[in-house]
Amino acid sequence: METRDSLIQVTDLKKYYNKGTIKALDGITVDINRGDVMVVIGPSGSGKSTFLRSLNLLEEPTGGSIIFDGVDITKKKTMGPDGKMVKVDIDKHRQKMGMVFQHFNLFPHMTIMDNMTLAPIQVKHMDKAAAEEKALALLDRVGLKDRAGAYPIQLSGGQKQRIAIVRALMMEPEVMLFDEPTSALDPEMVGEVLEVMKELAQEGMTMVVVTHEMGFAREVGNRVLFMADGQLLEQGTPEEIFGRPQNPRLQDFLSKVL
Amino acid sequence: MSQLISAENFAKVAQFGDLFKEGLVITLLLSLLTVLFGFILAMVLAVMRLSNVCPFRFLGLTRDGHLREQGFLVALSRFNPVSFLATAYVEVFRATPMIVQLWIVYYGLFDKSVIDLPRVTIFGFIQLERFLPGVVALAMNSGAYLCEILRSGIQSIDGGQTEAARSLGLNQRQNMRFIVLPQAIKNTLPAIANEFVTIIKESSITYTVGVKDIMSAVNATKGSLYIVMEPLIVATVMYFCLTFPTSKIIAYFERRMSRGDKR
Repeated sequence: METRDSLIQVTDLKKYYNKGTIKALDGITVDINRGDVMVVIGPSGSGKSTFLRSLNLLEEPTGGSIIFDGVDITKKKTMGPDGKMVKVDIDKHRQKMGMVFQHFNLFPHMTIMDNMTLAPIQVKHMDKAAAEEKALALLDRVGLKDRAGAYPIQLSGGQKQRIAIVRALMMEPEVMLFDEPTSALDPEMVGEVLEVMKELAQEGMTMVVVTHEMGFAREVGNRVLFMADGQLLEQGTPEEIFGRPQNPRLQDFLSKVL
Repeated sequence: MSQLISAENFAKVAQFGDLFKEGLVITLLLSLLTVLFGFILAMVLAVMRLSNVCPFRFLGLTRDGHLREQGFLVALSRFNPVSFLATAYVEVFRATPMIVQLWIVYYGLFDKSVIDLPRVTIFGFIQLERFLPGVVALAMNSGAYLCEILRSGIQSIDGGQTEAARSLGLNQRQNMRFIVLPQAIKNTLPAIANEFVTIIKESSITYTVGVKDIMSAVNATKGSLYIVMEPLIVATVMYFCLTFPTSKIIAYFERRMSRGDKR
């Protein structure tokens, strides 16, 4: 199931604030392959979220490059196939990267159905009936088919996050980015969201997950990154990271969270 | 004048009923057109103020295309002339009296040598060369106020909404149209309603340039009958009958749009 087909290459990614005095990301280099379930762990303020948000340019990096589908999306322009410089259309690339947020960010003024079909209809010019059919199928998958007409405020946190996941899936992304998807949930709702993510991983979806759920990292992830102070200190398989941690910072971190 | 207000004086005012009727229609039309054009202007201004047009942006990039961190070039690269113009407009119009703006528009902009309006009378009582400058001045003024209401409404929307929309591939324009503006307008509806009501009341100032609105009918009655209170009371009732339903109608839309707020 695992392939070595590289999807995103991140090279020396930097994000500085306050004229370089704060280094949120200090030179991250990592390859994300198709089918990877990459889990990013680390203490708060280590730059995990900044790293994830940089991948689809919600944060504009101050240095380094992110090659996605062969295009450096951190640059304003790129070499087109005919050798001319063309503008990098970030909207186009974002369509291929689904993102799930800590605070769900469902659109409160729209029903669940409209939340899900808006982007496919407006961006991909999908037929309304086809989009609704697809949305119902996805809602059925996460057990929320009967809530299609509800507004986000009528749902529980776990339900909202499941909707947010399938809303991103509507665009058929090549990679899914999860920014602490269970951190804002009540404990009893964490399981239902992780279950959906696990299914997604088993289907071979490429995923980058920032999380504090060590159980999920160990069980579902195939690669784990440990970040601290904006740097990538250690990476490896879950067995390596949790079983034989090398870096003292990682050992310290694991002793606190496990 | 023994009594301040008397019934027989109201009977005298009734002779001027037609003036008041025409005044009511003019005030209504003036307000409706002002709301329409003012709102369009406000939308344009708000989008301009929040736009991201930086013609010198390239100055903020280093040779290899990354953002510079500091210096004069960074400040210059962030200069947005579109936003600057809109902000200047709003500040000027909010900082000067309505009557000054109205007179400048009427005596300056619509002077024969600048814009010469044809002397047309619509419906037999609306003089275009006085009515139109009134609409323009009121719309320019309310556009500035509505712009600030809309801008604050747009900025009050959680940034996560835009992030979610953009991460789904919607561009900035689609994000504004489908996600931010509907929520912003909903949140600012009470303030917008207030502004609409204000326009109806402010429109009374146009009688100073000869627009024959309700206030002008009061003036005419006062001039020929030498009674003041009775026509003013009539005008008060008429204005109230315009403003009160307006706020009620908007309250209805407010309730309708808040469907997403209730469990």
